[in-house]
Formats: sequence, C-alpha cells, structure tokens
Amino acid sequence: MKTLHIVNKSPEQARFGRCLAAFDRDDQLLLTENAVIAAGVASLELPTHCFALEADLKARGLTSGASVVSIDYNGMVKLTVEADRVICW
Amino acid sequence: MTVLVVIDQSPYGSWRGRESLDMALSLAAFDQPASLLFTGAGVNWLRKGQDPAGISQKAVERNVSAATIFGIEEILADRLSLEANALTLDELVEGAVAVEYSPELVANYLNVVCL
Amino acid sequence: MTSPTSLAFTLVITGAPYSSQAPQTALSFAQAVIAEGHSIDRVFLYGDGVHLASALSTPPSDETNWSLAWAEFLIEHGIPGVACIASALRRGVLNSEEQQRYERSAANLVTPYQLLGLGEWVESIASTSKTLYFHGEH
Repeated sequence: MKTLHIVNKSPEQARFGRCLAAFDRDDQLLLTENAVIAAGVASLELPTHCFALEADLKARGLTSGASVVSIDYNGMVKLTVEADRVICW
Repeated sequence: MTVLVVIDQSPYGSWRGRESLDMALSLAAFDQPASLLFTGAGVNWLRKGQDPAGISQKAVERNVSAATIFGIEEILADRLSLEANALTLDELVEGAVAVEYSPELVANYLNVVCL
Repeated sequence: MTSPTSLAFTLVITGAPYSSQAPQTALSFAQAVIAEGHSIDRVFLYGDGVHLASALSTPPSDETNWSLAWAEFLIEHGIPGVACIASALRRGVLNSEEQQRYERSAANLVTPYQLLGLGEWVESIASTSKTLYFHGEH
C-alpha cells in the first residue's frame, strides 16, 4: 500500500513526530504550511521520499535543499492521486 | 474497511477530541466500521475517575466506555503514551487495549482520521 | 491537462480562517484538482472549519475574504458545500431555518453551504472518493 503522509504542523509539534512514527520506509511525506520549516532544519532526518509545497517554502523564505523535492499544488494533486492511502496529520 | 480515528489531545482543554469521537460514533451509527486510537496526551481520555463538573463539562469517560456498545470496534491505547502518562491498564476505562503505535498498526487501516 | 483516470475528491476543512492557513491550502489544492481534470464531490466543514461558512466575516479590504473566495469557487464549479450542523450551531453559524428554530437574532450561513450532519462525511468515506483533511496548526 502506497501511503502519502501530509503534515502541516511545525516539526517541533508532537503531531509531526507522530506522523514520522507511523511512516513506513517506502511511504511518501509531503510538508505543507508550517511543516516546510522541517526542510530547513539541519538536525532533522527526513524520509527519502520527501516533498514540500513550493508556495509555503517561498512564503517563509526557504529553499527545499537537496533531500526535499519542491512541488506546486498540481504536484500535490498528482501525489494524492497516485497514493493508495492519504493520511493528513 | 475500518476507519481509524486518532485522538492525540487531552480531553476538556480542547474540543477536538470530542469532535473526533463524534466522527467515530457517526461511522458506527451508519454501519461503517471504526476504531479509536488514543496516543500522546490523548490517552488521558481513558483515565478512570474523571469529574469535570467543576469546569461545566460532561465527562468523556462514559462516552469512551460506551463506544463499543455503540458499535466502535476497538479502543486502542498507545502503550508508550500510557507509560509516559503514568497510566496502568487497571486505571483505564473498560474495553481499552494497549497496542504498539507503529507503521504496522496504522497499515491495518485504509482510512486514518486525525483531527 | 487531463489525467488518464479522473478521480473524485472530498475535502474536509477543520481549520478556521484567520486562525489557520487551512482555507488557503484547501482552496489552492481544490483549484489544482479541477485544473488536473479531477472532480470534487463535496466540501465538508467540520469543527472550527465552519467559520469559513460565516457571511459576517469581514477582513480588511486588502486581505483575502476566505469565506467569499470559497463560496465563489463552490458556486463556479457546482460543488456542494456542507457545514456540519453540530459544529456550526455551537459556533454561531446558522441558516434562517435554525435561526427561527432557536429564535436567534440573525442567520449568517453563506450561500451555497447547507447545514447537515456527519452522515454527509460518512457517505464520502463509504464512497470511492478520496478524502483529504485540511487542519489547523494546533
């Protein structure tokens, strides 16, 4: 089962950790809203398949870095369409 | 397919848990299988002996213990969160079962709702 | 651009405007759903999300009026908008029927929303449509 986890909470929030604790190796992670801060937190280890909303990164003056793929809302739709299951944390 | 409703916030201080529970009960009322998972501070929902009269709210303890009567399949409690909140099994409302919160547990549910 | 397989979505908004980013993220996503050739079965407002259906929301003129922006989008695309009746009544979002029933001084539900029960959400869960949630930050 291909799962897309969408998280909108800052990495310091417990919900963010709860999302990662439910994350299986081959799942995908999409950072939206305040969660995109995670893309700029060096100490935070993010999963291999990690995406972030470009508009949210730009709004906060961040760039995605090498390990996170920046996508637009159309890209977000594509990810949700391709996933068997979407969990919004 | 059973829907997993996750409650990860303490009762009374916010309305989110109540509204999560309402979702689970609604599913059950329409014959859609639903389970509840309490994790994080949410495990405090399961503590026996709640008396919220002094804060003008209704006790949620009864709602939870009645959940299985209304058709909720399972009342799951994250074992690590129970430990973190100094809760032992005999301090929990009737029907709660301790489980490991893990990708394997969550994988059993095609729909996961976490308000 | 049309996708090979067209999907139906249900969007559940639980974050309120002006206290969370949820209405904006949900609207941008919804516009992309349509642009990608998919459809939206229903938009369901739950919990604090029902504030999005208040006609009395009056932000400064240089800020987006999310209630209005969402209502226009729903009408333009003929998408049913539902505010959970229990969430809405608690938070002071009423249609004229509920205004009369509870003898309140005003009704403020934005067109085209309807006040209905959680059964509407259950129906989406039971159907083949993909359900996404747009929560607040806490």
